[in-house]
Amino acid sequence: MEPNTVIGLLLWGTWVGLDLASIAQVMINRPLVAGTIAGAILGDAQTGLMVGVVLELFALDVLPFGAARYPDYGLGAVAAAAAAVGAPGLFGLGLGVVVGLVVAYAGEIGIQLIRGRTSADVRRHRTDLEAGDRSTIYRLHLRGIGRDALRATVLTALGLGLAGIARFAHPTTVRTAVALSAVATGVGLGTALLGGVRMARGSRASWTWLATGIVAGTIWVVVR
Amino acid sequence: MKPRLASAAVRLLVLQGSMNHERLQGIGAAVAIEPLIRDLDGGQNGQRYRAALARSAGFFNTNPYLAGVAIGAVARAEHSGAPLRQVETLRSAIKGPLGSLGDRLIWTGVLPVCASIGLVCATLVHPLVAVAAYLLAFNAVNVAVRWWGLRAGWRSGIAVAAMLSQSVLRRAVKFVGPLAVLSIGVALPVAAEMLTANFDTSVRVGTAGVALATAATSWFLMPSVGAARVGILALGSVLVLGWIW
Repeated sequence: MEPNTVIGLLLWGTWVGLDLASIAQVMINRPLVAGTIAGAILGDAQTGLMVGVVLELFALDVLPFGAARYPDYGLGAVAAAAAAVGAPGLFGLGLGVVVGLVVAYAGEIGIQLIRGRTSADVRRHRTDLEAGDRSTIYRLHLRGIGRDALRATVLTALGLGLAGIARFAHPTTVRTAVALSAVATGVGLGTALLGGVRMARGSRASWTWLATGIVAGTIWVVVR
Repeated sequence: MKPRLASAAVRLLVLQGSMNHERLQGIGAAVAIEPLIRDLDGGQNGQRYRAALARSAGFFNTNPYLAGVAIGAVARAEHSGAPLRQVETLRSAIKGPLGSLGDRLIWTGVLPVCASIGLVCATLVHPLVAVAAYLLAFNAVNVAVRWWGLRAGWRSGIAVAAMLSQSVLRRAVKFVGPLAVLSIGVALPVAAEMLTANFDTSVRVGTAGVALATAATSWFLMPSVGAARVGILALGSVLVLGWIW
């Protein structure tokens, strides 16, 4: 990987990580977006899209409600694209998703760590906060954003390292690679299906909408 | 009095920058409301300004896309000289309904719809165009909802609850919920076809089996375990079996 590419991915990963909650939430953190752009930086947007789509299906399981715990699938998608691009044939998809899920989970742990640090920071400045001190409020806020930026950069770097290791030690047989890709795709589809079922639960009309959608999508696929 | 709504709207983009277990979005809420309360009696060194800022930095958590409604309403209440108890009640009472409304509108409504738009576009056009479609669709709603929310909150002040109960958002939620379910339904076969295009028939059947087994078992597992862990477990097992076999 060229140094410029690594720098590009680190910058992209940092922005993606910040978009999860800290800054703007314009959805560049969604795996479909993060993976495709990471793939484009690596010179293969299509492969980035494929791993992004699988992780997007996983991401439909949990949505980033404020205080909830959620994996950072965006950072996972950046690492997944780095693992998948350039890998031969079906080797890339499964391998990329494995790396992506591990990084996404590490991202979840990272979020809890930085929120714990920010909580400690807030406790230390309780008196100033209760006095309505503007500069303390600004300082705490900027430090919180800084911590999240650091989390995103470090995890992107770790993800790129993990992607390098995974590509070096990838499964040697075609059978394993195919099984990995099939299971990754299957678990992703199952997760998204469950997400749809959960959303439809409790309303007969919603079940009808879900079934209608599946039929319409199937017709679309067949006709194309 | 000229409200600095644009400045507050920009700051609302980083509402969750200092998210923490103590006060959740509280610090970010204080940063966002600050431009709107600068004009309180006494200015930035005045007692009312500092007291309002301190209140705003307390515990706060709501949907980030609709947080502007609460920020605008509280700022307006501070300006209108509402009793302290009423401002605090407004601040704590509004965040729950706003959170619920925003989560249904954005997280389980607009977002799945836009993800599905992105997925379907990816089968038709260049991946980067699909990404652009996803982002444009989502952010058209994002920008509109955020700006509307802040302005509506500022206009309504203490009467924000009545405004919300009659707002267009309530009707939008009723519309976008079924649309989201329909979109997920459409996206599933489209994504399945895209991802399994290079698989032979037996592998496709296996993939479908894994998908159904995942949906069935995860019904019980996922609320506590989560899809990422289920995926790591399943793929880790495949890797180990592959190395052994």
